Amino acid sequence: MKLLAFLSQHGDEILQATLEHVWLVALTMLLAIAIGVPLGILVARRPWLSKPILGTANVAETIPSLALFGFLLPVPWLGNRADRVAIAALTLYALLPIIRNTATGIAGVDRAVREAARGMGMTEQQILFHVELPLSLSTIIAGIRVATILTIGIATIAAAVGTGGLGEFIFRGLAMVNNPLILAGAIPAAALALMADFGLSLLERRLRPAR
Amino acid sequence: MKIQTPFSRGRLPLPAIVFLAGCLVACQGARRDKIVVGSKNFPEQALLGEILAQQIEGQTHLRVERRFYLAGSFICQQAMLAGRIDTYVEYTGTALTAILHDPVETDSKRVFGRVQMEYEKRFGFQVLPSLGFDDTFAIVIRGEDARRLHLRTLSAAARFAPQWRPGFGYEFMERPDGYAGLTRVYGLMFAEKPRILDLGLLYRALLDKQVDLIAANSTDGLLSARDLTVLEDDKHYFPPYEAVPIVRAETAGRFPDVRAAIAELAGKVSDAEMQKMNYAVVAQQRDISEVAREFLHSKGLP
Amino acid sequence: MSSAPDDQPIIEFQKARYQLPTGRILLQEVTFAVPRGETLVLLGRSGAGKTTALKLINRLLEPSAGKVCVEGRSTLDWDPIALRRRIGYVIQESGLFPHYTVGQNVSLVPRLEGWAAERIEGRVRELFALVGLDPDEFLARYPHELSGGQRQRVGVARALAADPPILLMDEPLGALDPLTRGDVRREFHDLQKRLRKTVVIVTHDISEALLLGTRIGLMEAGELRGIYSPKEFLSATEPLAAAYTAQLRVLEEAREQK
Repeated sequence: MKLLAFLSQHGDEILQATLEHVWLVALTMLLAIAIGVPLGILVARRPWLSKPILGTANVAETIPSLALFGFLLPVPWLGNRADRVAIAALTLYALLPIIRNTATGIAGVDRAVREAARGMGMTEQQILFHVELPLSLSTIIAGIRVATILTIGIATIAAAVGTGGLGEFIFRGLAMVNNPLILAGAIPAAALALMADFGLSLLERRLRPAR
Repeated sequence: MKIQTPFSRGRLPLPAIVFLAGCLVACQGARRDKIVVGSKNFPEQALLGEILAQQIEGQTHLRVERRFYLAGSFICQQAMLAGRIDTYVEYTGTALTAILHDPVETDSKRVFGRVQMEYEKRFGFQVLPSLGFDDTFAIVIRGEDARRLHLRTLSAAARFAPQWRPGFGYEFMERPDGYAGLTRVYGLMFAEKPRILDLGLLYRALLDKQVDLIAANSTDGLLSARDLTVLEDDKHYFPPYEAVPIVRAETAGRFPDVRAAIAELAGKVSDAEMQKMNYAVVAQQRDISEVAREFLHSKGLP
Repeated sequence: MSSAPDDQPIIEFQKARYQLPTGRILLQEVTFAVPRGETLVLLGRSGAGKTTALKLINRLLEPSAGKVCVEGRSTLDWDPIALRRRIGYVIQESGLFPHYTVGQNVSLVPRLEGWAAERIEGRVRELFALVGLDPDEFLARYPHELSGGQRQRVGVARALAADPPILLMDEPLGALDPLTRGDVRREFHDLQKRLRKTVVIVTHDISEALLLGTRIGLMEAGELRGIYSPKEFLSATEPLAAAYTAQLRVLEEAREQK
């Protein structure tokens, strides 16, 4: 079949683009987790922050991705390199599910467990790391899973501003009206999303504490 | 019975993290022994890219990967910066205004010199001598209109602009050396706002009389094959658009043969030869690699 | 062990008051003292302020006015972590960590305190024996695998792990069915004699109060109505106390009639 011949002939390039894509997504997720989880913990601790923080993340989410990439292009330092723009925008998108799930997970920890922990003389930090985070890990991973799949998808659009990755195949294919080229970008992207979904679901289930 | 430490349940095993980290590094760091040639997304660019690719393949026997039909100058620039492509053909005028954001200039030697200097300084890119032609913007009207109104230059045509509907591509509308400057310098006031069309559709729209004036490229194949007139840029508004190969300094350093191979192409492509190749691909639907190979052989290359 | 001289009360409330930020007063000015080795039972209906008073002792709440002193020092002068490590805390829902085994739960405070591993293991086995659970059977189990009664016993073991001089219990038997409640109550009563700790128990169950308390503090609507020995309570003329005692008589009469 023509498609398979194409894929095997250009296997090298497809692999390269896939690695570029994975790199984008991985970096984004690292940033989003590093920023989002602490913010989620903050929101769980001080519920009055939930409106401003979740509200801001929500606004970022509603901006169409292509527009957001475009907005960030004129920004100094950021706009000079397409991958910086992409990672900045993608991180903003990934934040909402992570913050929300972290906050929900931690707030959802059994009050009796938290009260017992406090009463026994655990410090706030010890309670966070030994009680709240382990018990909400499953929920947090669920948020990370959603964010990852989102990022894999939106990262294909990032090619429109020069970031490369699998999206570039799609855009080039569109310009050349070349279906195999489009699929060469779309299929690996979909496969990545499925793998991420599967892998993280497994992790989620493994970490769910028995009740 | 040993009492486990907390957090041991559900912790990602260390080897997995190390493996993931290694993969990430590999993604970025891996540099394969091949050359990637890029091009923008129109046939002339794909032709030039193919010529470059075949020349490199023939002369150096290195593996060449083609990453053609990248959406535009900005995309190509980003791809060069990120090292995703090693070389592509840019036009000096575009480099000057759209990439370097310098003010417009019309002296081609000065433009080339400035581009060469700045590209080296700012990006670490080497600008090689021109391939031999100038793909400048061509303001095109239908032959019948040109003859009826006795028009040869843009200045003369300005009088009739209010009767015309223009058609331009996205890039022309946005570029500093595009629509805005043109209308200003020649005092063009059209009947309506320009229709914005894909480059490929502009000629059809002009011939079908959906628009009356378009900005096309001076090397377009259709210009010699249809009844069309290019209006002379008598006020020298458009900067020069010499076709120059750009190579990453890192690539040139690692593979001096590649640089030599590309440099050998300097001056080999005339305006007319480019038009012919464009016509073959666009109007005659011939295969790009075939046309490129034919051209190279005709020059005794690769 | 204790920093206070022998005759000083371990726990002392001096006109302690607790008011919510909304203005609602949960505890009116309350004054009482708990000497070393006593088991004080705070008896009252829900909303009487007993749990509030309990939480003022381990500084889960801070008094809005007045003072609560533990071992001679105001709770506000204590480092809250250090204070709570000296106080065992047992709550109604046990609050065992679901992601820890029973063994990990019980050994929590000793591990936080940095005890040596062998010392911890020895202590855990000791505690299991104390609360009547087989270590080999229960150490590696998870809380959700245990019955309510077993969970509560683990909660008590956990509270006693670092051998704190003070023990606070908030409706410890409240979540148990009457039969289990009776068993655990009896066991705790036996335990008490061996432990020789200062204990404050919150309950609404009169039989529990009479069986377990050396003294009973009757609370209602945020006030302390009075402190009685069990005997005194039974013959008290205070209307609320009398009402509780009347409840007991109802049970006795029902038993006689059947």
